Amino acid sequence: MNTLFLIQLLVNGLIVGTLYGVVAMSFVLIYKATQVVNFAQGEFLLIGAWVCWWLLTKYQIPFYLGMPITLVFMFAFGVALQVVVLRPMIGEPIISVIMVTIGLSTVFQALMKWMFGTNLQPFPTVFETQTVNVFGLYIQSIYLMSLAVSVLMMAGMGWFFRATKHGLAMRATAFDQQVAQSLGISVENVFAMAWAISAMVSAVAGVVVAVVNGVSAGLSAYGIKVFPAAILGGLDSIAGAVVGGIIIGLLENIAHFIDSEYLHWGNLYEVAPFYVMIIILMIKPYGLFGTRDIERV
Amino acid sequence: MRGMMLLRDVSLAVLVCGLAGAAQAETVQVGQLADYSGGTADVGVPFGQGLIDGMAWANKRGGVTVELDTVDYGYKVPRAVAQYKKWTGGDTKMPAILGWGTADTEALTGFIARDKIPYMSASYSAALTDPTGKSGKTKPAPYNFFYAPSYSDALRAMLTWAAQDWKSKGKPGKPKFVHMGANHPYPNAPKEAGEAIAKELGFEVLPPVQFALTPGDYTAQCLTLKNTGANYAYLGNTAGSNIAVLKACKNVGADVQFLGNVWGMDENAAKAAGDAADGVVFPLRTAIPYGGDAPGANNLKDVSKNSDPTGNAYRPVHYVAGVCTALYMKEAIDWAAKNGGVTGENVKKGFYQKKDWVPAGMEGVCKPSTWTETDHRPMLNIDLYRIRVSGSTDAPLPELIKNGTIKLEKVATIDLPRKPEWLGW
Amino acid sequence: MASTSLLPAGDFRTTYAADTTIFPTVTSRNCAIAGVVLLCLAPYFLSQYWISLLIQIGYFGVAALGLNILVGFTGQISIGHAAFFGFGAFSSAYVSTQLGVPAFFAIPIAGVMTALVGLIFGLPAARLKGLYLAIATLAAQYILLDFFSRAEWFTGGSIPASAEPFRLFGYTFNTDRQYFYVVLAYVVLSCLLVTNLIRSRDGRAFVAIRDHYLSAEMMGINLTKYRTLSFGLAAFYAGIGGALYAHYAQVVSNEGFGIERSIVFLAMIIIGGVGSVMGTLMGTAFMVLLPEAMEWISADLRGSVIDDMLSFNNNIAFLREIAIGLVIVLFLMFEPDGLAHRWRQIKAYWKLYPFSH
Repeated sequence: MNTLFLIQLLVNGLIVGTLYGVVAMSFVLIYKATQVVNFAQGEFLLIGAWVCWWLLTKYQIPFYLGMPITLVFMFAFGVALQVVVLRPMIGEPIISVIMVTIGLSTVFQALMKWMFGTNLQPFPTVFETQTVNVFGLYIQSIYLMSLAVSVLMMAGMGWFFRATKHGLAMRATAFDQQVAQSLGISVENVFAMAWAISAMVSAVAGVVVAVVNGVSAGLSAYGIKVFPAAILGGLDSIAGAVVGGIIIGLLENIAHFIDSEYLHWGNLYEVAPFYVMIIILMIKPYGLFGTRDIERV
Repeated sequence: MRGMMLLRDVSLAVLVCGLAGAAQAETVQVGQLADYSGGTADVGVPFGQGLIDGMAWANKRGGVTVELDTVDYGYKVPRAVAQYKKWTGGDTKMPAILGWGTADTEALTGFIARDKIPYMSASYSAALTDPTGKSGKTKPAPYNFFYAPSYSDALRAMLTWAAQDWKSKGKPGKPKFVHMGANHPYPNAPKEAGEAIAKELGFEVLPPVQFALTPGDYTAQCLTLKNTGANYAYLGNTAGSNIAVLKACKNVGADVQFLGNVWGMDENAAKAAGDAADGVVFPLRTAIPYGGDAPGANNLKDVSKNSDPTGNAYRPVHYVAGVCTALYMKEAIDWAAKNGGVTGENVKKGFYQKKDWVPAGMEGVCKPSTWTETDHRPMLNIDLYRIRVSGSTDAPLPELIKNGTIKLEKVATIDLPRKPEWLGW
Repeated sequence: MASTSLLPAGDFRTTYAADTTIFPTVTSRNCAIAGVVLLCLAPYFLSQYWISLLIQIGYFGVAALGLNILVGFTGQISIGHAAFFGFGAFSSAYVSTQLGVPAFFAIPIAGVMTALVGLIFGLPAARLKGLYLAIATLAAQYILLDFFSRAEWFTGGSIPASAEPFRLFGYTFNTDRQYFYVVLAYVVLSCLLVTNLIRSRDGRAFVAIRDHYLSAEMMGINLTKYRTLSFGLAAFYAGIGGALYAHYAQVVSNEGFGIERSIVFLAMIIIGGVGSVMGTLMGTAFMVLLPEAMEWISADLRGSVIDDMLSFNNNIAFLREIAIGLVIVLFLMFEPDGLAHRWRQIKAYWKLYPFSH
């Protein structure tokens, strides 16, 4: 067994997995706060990456300015989306809400292709990318930065929910909307904020991926990978989403290892998360950290 | 709305009938399937533009006026089949169609043979090169043509060069070859043929590696490449996703000589990939890239002015190939007009008109091609070029070409023997 | 569903048989028959292009009917319907070319094969509810798609599979005008079967599960059995639709069966109105004609000022996708009950004029 190869793949899986975890975290944030399944999560990454790229290349703004502008834009975008599209859908059956987000994802993907083209665009150089040699795998400094950023974001979210008034309000709304409303928490504002934060965090992940791989429509694929990660971790557990993301990242690469060493099927890397998801749904549908759904009559 | 559409269809049919009946100053409609938005749009856009500009330029020089009906089918086979039915559903048949992708061309082979419509595709799958089916390796494709070396022949040529390259570098042992591409007819087309000739030439053939036609994160595939110690890797996809692989493999530190297919690399891709694209070897369908030196080079610049009046745009290799493709089609149609009328069968015969045929005005630009009744492989003399990137590629493309940051240098010309056992495969 | 069972005053039914008719009134039955007769005459005065559109509406409509059984009548969610549609297409192609079965029999056989696959997927699905079911069907979609691209013995792998044209007693239904009748027959049959399903015992069980599954279970309806059955039936109709598509195009490639197609199926029943047979057909017609309408608009606008401003010409494909997504979102926001509901409102307005409220 080729241990060096396996370790390299595992390191790659860890890096990719933290990105999945970040995106899954934003997905679960929306679900936990507003009970909406956001099929357009991948498009948040895409929009964030394209906007940042556009600011950097068209207006020649340096990265440390362009990134905050992008974040502000995504905040506003998340709020606008929630107010315009999702607020009228409160109370509708879940299939309708799912379809709305699916429709939104279609619109955003096509809109991005229209505005920015279908070609892969490289990101302007942000850092002097030095590579660090870990177990023979040359990791770019941007990936290490993304690892640090992801951990920071997770810690930030944890602190936000525990120690700030708004975070507490969101947790209260997630637990029981009516009681939260009766205590004077504006549930509508909480919803809008959940979407805004989710959009911002996803945009950061999108920019990180774009810096390494360039911006392209392939970023939307992260929106599909988020489902195995969130299911694995438990749909209403933010910490679970992070863990789920990391596990999915590792699993993908282990599957690739098995595939390239023994099976030679070719694309186990792409399908493995879905097989895992089906298995999890069969055995333990509430994931590792999710709360059991109590049947209400 | 319905009635208007009906009226429009009826009047169009009448118009086409009327025009087809006219003897002099003929105008014919030729369908053009293009991919401007799908998985291969990065190369579909310049090639489609080349077809349009080339046809416009050729129309100005006389002969039958060919009108192109361009349809963007997004690289989806069902849309291509539906569009084909739309084109051939009326009373008058189209004399020819300019196609695009491998999957849809192979799907339509039976239909075009039944309807007798010459189909010049941008797919160079070897399965389309056997008109009579006598090779036994593929079904007969009497009406399929293309202007390029087939993917299999191109891979054979590159492997022949790779074997020489390995020896000339004095490296010991067997070199390792791996085929990389999506699980799709277009990258899979030359896989078998390539792996067979690789074994013959003394390569060790590694299991193929898959990566999708869309750009993404292919670090894991590059790690496999590095781990198995591959020396030569064939990239079967178009430039868009190949760039992702090139960048990922550069980050991973894999030391591989990449061999691209004709669609796998071009000047735009080199700009996008930066120095990750340096050193990729791929074949060229035309004798020179845009801006090269040849008797027909000025005509090529005139062609480009059709969509770029300033004349400053730099055209990637796919544009030039598109121009040549359009010109061959036009000359075949002109021949048919003089030899019995513009029908599908006569246009097909028009392709057999000359040996080592170069369209008028494009000497030194388009490579001499020969199609015969039993062999639709137009060229077996294949030019291999290497992309050289020597610096930052942030500037616009025409500047990069002018100051030599991106260069195409010819590496070798491989003359493949016209083996009958290689036909159709 | 309450709106369909409300009868106007004075309209009495005196037998059970009269109460459970397929068509609520004699007029509606006559209209339906007249409509079918009109469609039979359609190939003689419609152009090739319109016939092909009607055929598309036909085979997508049959598949969407299946999805409506699952989503509209049983209350489940499926985002993987296109995979069943594709399975039907591939199995019909396989059966007709490799096993030499004539297309007439291959289509029902493909439907049955797809139903079996649907039952297999339905068994685990019966344990999941709501959102989890949706995600499981999403995974099933990708897994089936992967199966299509790798099972070369079945689908030809990445090379498109070919299907035989439809033959009946030696007469080949090769052109669109002839194939139209085949599709029309299947559509009429499917609509009748599905409408009959709803008024039968099993149909009522489905509706009961949708409305309140706990009460249904307490009344003795076996939830697992009916949920699985619902999946199987949905897959059956999807398979028939897929088989019709296969014999129409005569080439089947696994590109048309991805998640985008599943989304379009869902859009068809949501826009048409979940839980309504006529709504399904209306929704299917809408979703098939929408891309065509975008083409007409862009062709008419080509070369004009708007075209230059928005650079339509090259980006028409994206405009199409944006239109599909926007239509879904707008319909869900402003007309969540779909076109069938709107049609009922219009009928009610005229019926009660001038006293509508």
